[in-house]
Amino acid sequence: MPRATPAPLQLLFPPISLPLKYKPQPISHLTFVRSSIPCPPAVYRNSSTDYPHITTPLPPPSSIYIHLPFCRRRCHYCDFPIIALGSSSSHYDDDPRINTYIRLLLREIRATKPYSSLQLPIKTIFFGGGTPSLVPPRLIASVLDTIRTKFGEVAADVEVSMEMDPGTFDAGRLEEMVGVVGVTRISLGVQAFQDELLRECGRAHGRREVDEAIELVNSSHGLRSWSLDLISSLPRQTEEMWEESLRLAVSAGPQHVSVYDLQVEEGTKFALLYTPGEFPLPAEAQSANFYVMASETLKLAGYEHYEISSYCKPGHECMHNITYWQNEPFYGFGLGSASYINGVRFSRPRRLKQYEEFVKDLEAGNMSAKSNASIVEDKEMAMDVVMLSLRTAKGLDLKSFQRSFGESVVLSLCRAWRPHVESGHVVALDEERKAISIGKFDLELNGDCQLGRRVAFLRLSDPEGFLMSNELIAVAFGVLSP
Amino acid sequence: MRALYRSSRFVTSTLRPLLYESYRFGTLLPLIGGECSFCSHSREKSREGALDLSQYPPERIRNFSIIAHVDHGKSTLADRLLELTGTIKKGHGQPQYLDKLQVERERGITVKAQTATMFFRHKFQQHEATEKENAPNFLLNLIDTPGHVDFSYEVSRSLAACQGVLLVVDAAQGVQAQTVANFYLAFESNLAIIPVINKIDQPTADPDRVKAQLKSLFDLDPNHALLTSAKTGQGLEHVLPSVIDRIPAPPGKCDSPLRMLLLDSYYDEYKGVICHVAVVDGALCKGDKIASSATGHVYEVSDIGIMHPELTPTGVLLTGQVGYIVSGMRSTAEARVGDTLHQAKSTVLPLPGFKPAKHMVFSGLYPADGSDFDALNHAIERLICNDASVSVTKETSTALGMGFRCGFLGLLHMDVFHQRLEQEYGAKVLSTIPTVPYIFEYSDGSKVKVQNPAALASNPGKSVTACWEPSVIATIILPCEYVGPVITLCSERRGDQLEYSFIESQRVLMKYQLPLREIVVDFYNELKSITSGYASFDYEDAEYQKSDLVKLDILLNGQAVDAMATIVHNLKAQRVGRELVDKLKKFIDRQMFEISIQAAIGSRIIARETISAMRKNVLSKCYGGDVTRKRKLLEKQKEGKKRMKRVGSVDIPQEAFHELLKVSKE
Ligand SMILES: Nc1nc2c(ncn2[C@@H]2O[C@H](COP(=O)(O)OP(=O)(O)OP(=O)(O)O)[C@@H](O)[C@H]2O)c(=O)[nH]1
Ligand SMILES: [Mg+2]
Repeated sequence: MPRATPAPLQLLFPPISLPLKYKPQPISHLTFVRSSIPCPPAVYRNSSTDYPHITTPLPPPSSIYIHLPFCRRRCHYCDFPIIALGSSSSHYDDDPRINTYIRLLLREIRATKPYSSLQLPIKTIFFGGGTPSLVPPRLIASVLDTIRTKFGEVAADVEVSMEMDPGTFDAGRLEEMVGVVGVTRISLGVQAFQDELLRECGRAHGRREVDEAIELVNSSHGLRSWSLDLISSLPRQTEEMWEESLRLAVSAGPQHVSVYDLQVEEGTKFALLYTPGEFPLPAEAQSANFYVMASETLKLAGYEHYEISSYCKPGHECMHNITYWQNEPFYGFGLGSASYINGVRFSRPRRLKQYEEFVKDLEAGNMSAKSNASIVEDKEMAMDVVMLSLRTAKGLDLKSFQRSFGESVVLSLCRAWRPHVESGHVVALDEERKAISIGKFDLELNGDCQLGRRVAFLRLSDPEGFLMSNELIAVAFGVLSP
Repeated sequence: MRALYRSSRFVTSTLRPLLYESYRFGTLLPLIGGECSFCSHSREKSREGALDLSQYPPERIRNFSIIAHVDHGKSTLADRLLELTGTIKKGHGQPQYLDKLQVERERGITVKAQTATMFFRHKFQQHEATEKENAPNFLLNLIDTPGHVDFSYEVSRSLAACQGVLLVVDAAQGVQAQTVANFYLAFESNLAIIPVINKIDQPTADPDRVKAQLKSLFDLDPNHALLTSAKTGQGLEHVLPSVIDRIPAPPGKCDSPLRMLLLDSYYDEYKGVICHVAVVDGALCKGDKIASSATGHVYEVSDIGIMHPELTPTGVLLTGQVGYIVSGMRSTAEARVGDTLHQAKSTVLPLPGFKPAKHMVFSGLYPADGSDFDALNHAIERLICNDASVSVTKETSTALGMGFRCGFLGLLHMDVFHQRLEQEYGAKVLSTIPTVPYIFEYSDGSKVKVQNPAALASNPGKSVTACWEPSVIATIILPCEYVGPVITLCSERRGDQLEYSFIESQRVLMKYQLPLREIVVDFYNELKSITSGYASFDYEDAEYQKSDLVKLDILLNGQAVDAMATIVHNLKAQRVGRELVDKLKKFIDRQMFEISIQAAIGSRIIARETISAMRKNVLSKCYGGDVTRKRKLLEKQKEGKKRMKRVGSVDIPQEAFHELLKVSKE
């Protein structure tokens, strides 16, 4: 790790004034250790409300999220900021809406001040959407060029991920994206292998496009890994269908599988039509069963369940997503995208018109009160760390958490979770990641031997704990923010 | 045949000369000077304010209450009288001016008696000609009282400060149950009764019918009834002259040492406790040192005055007057309603005071929404300064933590108390199932009075030899076509008919002895619905009756929840147990484990349900790093947990407790 020099307290992106607590310390005190969970480096005092003053700037981001909102049409479960182009034309490469948007996006990137002079090489870039594969490769290339101009040469082993939908690319376009533009990882939005389910969700592709896309991706050279994305608990999805989807997913041979459980979001077509847990949506027990089936099938096929909804062959984790789960900073560009820079979370406008205005303001350097930025308070930071790390198989690193937020919080957290350790939803692990029995956990909780000596990690069990993650995280929140 | 018995008693006293007090007029006049020697600086003091109370010796004072059945127009009539005397401006302020509490305005009912002093000019007798032309020559104290049965305690206290009443009867509805009850309260206190038939503007008004009822039920002379419309103002001009002519002046002695009755008290953030008092004998000035007969404590009167209609300092209060004092009392433990206050230097024979309030229902009050005990404690302490009729003792529940066991005059009173705690003191409360006070007797001869079912051991180790429950005598007045269903209802509620009589050709008065438990919840609603609202109902407490009672426990995952225990009649235990269990099943959310809900009598399970474990609660996608949105979602979930009460390992939403209140109808 490079030793940081104190950054001049210039306004970072987005330019809002920083609170005093971020004041840099003299050089001699500034050793920035990047632990696996970056937390404010100062120690949290032994009280639940009195958080310490963070005295060092947080590390610069080395991840970038780019939002490309275009879709052929809106899927019935989708509530993301997207722009539906309409299914009539099958060729969007010269669509002026795409060109205009990309120009705006480039302006945003250019107008952004880099975090500091010590920008580290960018390690991950993620093109999400929308359907990024609808955007012509040359435009994607221009985005990457602008990033290089702005943030310097990217890391040699940079991960460039792109979400691609079946039916939006042919061999040539894929080769261009991979070979010319430099995409290293593809996230293929298969969602289901059954035509009737795909129709039900309003997807623009069918089973035939799915099979074609899998073949294309598998025969492409130069991809480091690809992910096959599935959705479970779709309306009218049966156990047989889900079993078939999992089987076909495994035989497609991706290095990575994402399994998302359908969330009926407010304002979507599904929300209008259906009630969670009621037909044609599967009952809660059935949808839990789907989750368990995925976990079992994929583990049996050699995938690690490394995050609530992510599975991969060893070494094929999505590095970009790991940035989020480790609560590390990242840039975000484009409509509705979120960024997290130097302890400030910011979400860009979700409507094109307002986004355009935002870019103009950014260029003019007047990002005043209307900006939708929030400094993440220490308490919220602790909540974020818990919420995000518990999504992962690694779990919450108690030593690092204790360093940042203090011993008493860790103790209260263990107390609050004790019944769940007992029921097996939460697993206490030692330094060697061996599970600790409830008896020994209790000893440590009540005995005078200092906590943290043995219990090094707390994670949610797979699949039962993962299935209850909201409930369990809410319990932890009750401790962090009473 | 109680009503008849009472009526016959009434006949003997009905000829009490309504005007006789006024004939004592002349003999009292010379005493005014004497009174002033008792309170030498009263004149200067009174000059401070615009009001000189010394102009109003007892013979120029009338103290009266307005009493009636619910909604017959007491508060509206009070408005008109306050306007007529210029005490409030016409058309200013809200209707029912004296209903000041938010709960009164929201519910459109009076729950607290309110006093207002008015000044009125009246040519009284011929020899008044010497008076200055236009000066008001009478001081009138009006007390507006609640009509609802729960608050009849307020009525009886108010009557202690009065020599007469306006008995208001709705011209269309006629005499109703609380008319009867309130009539007897006034009658038994030997007060002059002026019947006022109100709402004569209504198309269905039938004053003659009401006059006939007044005659037959109360033996009140139909010619003495006043006919009014508090809405249109019709007939109002006769009200105050009748008050002056027909209600006696207060009988106190101006030259005796001060004796005053503490009528009511409330707490003011700035002034501390404000006491409403009726000066029975003697006089009181600002700065005087007074003592409480009950506690012996001495206080200095720092402010004194009348309610005109707001607090108006006068520097003095003289014999027969009703007003307020501020004396540095800090709590109701000091300001005891019914206490006699006197000059610290003298000793007096205390006034009779009031019967203690009879608490009909008890329930536990606990802090809700994660609020703390201290906040609730503070709120309750403040509110009981304004509502002395609640009894409060601390109690602890394993399910709900530290809280209070409160006794109320009835369920409406309980509701109003909750609402006031929340609206006026910002407290958040959770209440347990209301219960009536039972008595259990054991084989070893010991007896316990049970105000909290949880306190009754489920397996006491000694056998219960007898149990008793409180009963009431209920009066129901209804059109005769509804008699059948009402009799069925009363026998379902384990009632015994005591009386059945026609108050006129088509109207029936029934009296029943009923277990209090049976009428506490839901009886009145049921009665209203089976009689299309035409029945009225009132009750007074009666003696304890032997009964076959059992304690019903609610168990969650095998663990009894003390705050959910109830005592029920053996024959109804099965049904109540089933209903409680069903309600809980509906309101307890699924949790990470299976939950069993059981109702049990001792170790016998009489109803059972299970709530299956929650199977899934996960947000699988955390898209594009929008962490804030997800955090907020989970924070909401956490807030939801705060609104739960944890019993053992089971989280129970507060709504579940509220819902249980509704089941207890047996
Ligand atoms: N038509 C008509 N309505 C009246 C008259 N007097 C009162 N009311 C109406 O009757 C309703 C009840 O009046 P209140 O004055 O609140 O009755 P109350 O007796 O004080 O009621 P409680 O204090 O709850 O017992 C209100 O809607 C009044 O407007 C009247 O003379 N004529
Ligand atoms: Mg009223």
